[in-house]
Amino acid sequence: MLRRLAISLLVAGAALCAARTRPHYGGTLHVEIAGDPWERPSGVARRLVFDGLTQVDASGALSSALAVSWEQDNNFHRWQFRLRQGVRFNDGTALTSTAVAASLSASCGSHCPWDAVKAVGPLVIFTNDAAMPNLPALLASDQFLIALTATADGRTAPGAIGTGPFQVTGFNNGVLSLAANENCWSGRPFADAIEIRVRRPVRDQWLDLSLGRADVVDVPAEQLRQAQQQRLSVLVSPPITLLALEVNDAGPLSNVKVRGAIAAAIDRSALYNVIFQKQGEVSASLLTQKMSGYSFLFPTERDLNKAHELRGGLTTGTLTMSADGDGAMQLAAQRIALNLREAGFNVQMAPAGVQHADLSLRRFLVSGNNPAAALERIMWDAGQSSSVSEQSAADLYRREQSILESYRIVPLVDLPVGYASGASVRDLRLRADGSPDLAGASLGEVR
Amino acid sequence: MRAMRLVGTVALVVCWLSGLVTSAAQTISAPSKWAQPAAELAGQIADILGPGQAQLTVRNLSTIPPSEVPGIRKQVEQGLKAHGVLAGGPESANAIRVTLSENARERLWVAEIAEGNKTRVTMVHVEAGESATVRSASERVVLRKEKIDGLVSRTDARPRDLPILAAAEINGHFVVMFTDRIAVFSSAGAGWAESNAFAMSPKMSRDPRGVLIPAADGGSFAAYAPGTQCNGSYSLPLNGENQDSGWTVRCRASDDPWPIYQSADASSGPALKAFYNTARDFFTGVVTPNIGVDLPAFYAAGMIPRAAGGAAILFAGVDGKVQIVENGTMRAVAGVRDWGSDFAVVRSGCGAGTQVIASSSGEAVSDSLRAFAIPALEALPESNALPMDGTVTALWTAQDGKSAMAVVRNGAGGYEVDRVTATCN
Repeated sequence: MLRRLAISLLVAGAALCAARTRPHYGGTLHVEIAGDPWERPSGVARRLVFDGLTQVDASGALSSALAVSWEQDNNFHRWQFRLRQGVRFNDGTALTSTAVAASLSASCGSHCPWDAVKAVGPLVIFTNDAAMPNLPALLASDQFLIALTATADGRTAPGAIGTGPFQVTGFNNGVLSLAANENCWSGRPFADAIEIRVRRPVRDQWLDLSLGRADVVDVPAEQLRQAQQQRLSVLVSPPITLLALEVNDAGPLSNVKVRGAIAAAIDRSALYNVIFQKQGEVSASLLTQKMSGYSFLFPTERDLNKAHELRGGLTTGTLTMSADGDGAMQLAAQRIALNLREAGFNVQMAPAGVQHADLSLRRFLVSGNNPAAALERIMWDAGQSSSVSEQSAADLYRREQSILESYRIVPLVDLPVGYASGASVRDLRLRADGSPDLAGASLGEVR
Repeated sequence: MRAMRLVGTVALVVCWLSGLVTSAAQTISAPSKWAQPAAELAGQIADILGPGQAQLTVRNLSTIPPSEVPGIRKQVEQGLKAHGVLAGGPESANAIRVTLSENARERLWVAEIAEGNKTRVTMVHVEAGESATVRSASERVVLRKEKIDGLVSRTDARPRDLPILAAAEINGHFVVMFTDRIAVFSSAGAGWAESNAFAMSPKMSRDPRGVLIPAADGGSFAAYAPGTQCNGSYSLPLNGENQDSGWTVRCRASDDPWPIYQSADASSGPALKAFYNTARDFFTGVVTPNIGVDLPAFYAAGMIPRAAGGAAILFAGVDGKVQIVENGTMRAVAGVRDWGSDFAVVRSGCGAGTQVIASSSGEAVSDSLRAFAIPALEALPESNALPMDGTVTALWTAQDGKSAMAVVRNGAGGYEVDRVTATCN
């Protein structure tokens, strides 16, 4: 009896399991997104077409990409990166240190984290008067992906040409078409092609996913719960996107107390509970709790009395506020404007495209497992370039505290990034920056 | 039926008792583990606060089990007391709030010391601990796994985990093929440590594979990776030289066919070779010597000896079908719906004598291995599933023919090598 039961359990167990086979090559992945595939940071097409000198792997560790090794000299004032040999751009042009230096210079113009970058044989050399302790990590960021700027005969390169696993083949009727790079240095991707339908409303994306017309679609943070209720197969990152208010310290907000009043007046809990549907975590620190371990030390509660006290009798006139991107961001900005009115500020939403608003609601990427590098990158993205050399948690806490006490950047909420995939998609993972690693995904087998 | 109930009851009692013992052991071992950081934090608090009384609260935002928090609190209290700070009640003017926190790299214990309106912060870092799990399997064949400690790519100089493609124990060393090198590991304490490495430049793949075949002489090997073939040998170094320096490995670009399985006896050499598609992750289906049947592209192959003499060759096809070639004909094998792409044939001596260990995962995060017998055209499960600690990325028959070697990628992206042995129940 026991033996028969055991055998039937074994057979049942075997029947219940689905096989995990090796990934298959071939097929076209159909991706739909609400935004622009080239937007920064982490637009889905960027890391499909381009690579950086370094990269952050899924575990958050820094690893080699187009550079195979790097070393610093002169107490972090000079770095040299050795290029991987035999790499070619998608158009067949060889990757050289000259091409890399040109691409990096074009990426940041006169506002780069180095004074000079030059090509010497297979080496790319960076020098700076100030120390650059986190340069390898900074070079992994989206801004410093390497693109071909000029062809071998010196002409301006046409379109987006990188060294990544896919190359652009066209853009028609709102669909960006990419084809596999057969000779990609990091290995040929599994899918033969990717088609990215851009600026598609999320509701339509989900409908297409359910009908099998899309393989990978967006799931914004505020709709994660809904996606799970609809039993979509959802991939969610940790909270890696910091939603923060940038406060312009020129003009009406030059007084630090007035900026402090703005920070105290914002109701983070309302943003978290209402706008973002309790996804991610409320935050008053630049680094996430998971990254720093001390983010709870920064109080997140709204303090309207303190806001009134700090503002005193100072008047600021009408403040303008802008917000990056989509509907949820606009709603969040309107909610913040409401909070500020209760503290005696008059805030008007700036029309889209305004560059220099008094207040800007922005998203910052906070990823990797090096807190000092992540903090420096946030400061860099916020236009407050300064190197962060602190390593111990206590020193980093003090550094972050001093940054936040200027109230030029007010952290609000840490949000996750989500995508849903169809049943035929296998081994889809999110990169450290939250973008889907479509080059590592494959389409399911036919059994 | 009564016997079943009795067995179930006994199993429950054993589980409960073992849980009790484990839990008690954890409770007993907790104080020593946390004593040093608790004392350090208490010292830092006392430096800020000075002797006196303060209200102490402790909260836990970390993965430390809640059952260990009272013990930690007690140790902080004792440390404070040793510095003249007494933990008082809510009436105390000063307050100490200790938060047991952590980040991606370390545990962090933070103390907020409030004196009047002023709050000061101090913190200490604590090394993160690890936990271990023990699992077992049962049935006609029992699969057991043994982790080969130390076979990792990561070193001080190379901080990144690289995929392990193959490994074999040769001449008292472990030879391991990574995606960028062939490394020789020497015995070090309870595990292995890399003592020598030879660079290798196979064609990069997103699903890298390789094979490593020990030679019959026991002191050399052949290794195959996409577009590359290497040969290694060991000769005793001259007097006075390090024993680990006797290895030489030479690699060359090659599209030669790979040995696709080891025969039961390593001394007889590999029986069949197949051409590998270096731009993909499978064999093309072209094998040498010709076996008289046109094979489809496949991921893995193995030879199953038959009791009546002769042998059958088992293939896991790229199309998901598992087929067997016997007597010049190829037929599909039933009962393989849960199989992954890889399998290994082992001679356990149990049942028909030979089992096929195949990987599968179902909906679980981690893969599992299970032993099957294939007496004819159906795979019959002969063991329970042996859970692995991640995704099985490579599986092959060990050189003794009696066990299998598996490479497992864990959730953190690290790789480990497990020896999986099939024994009779």
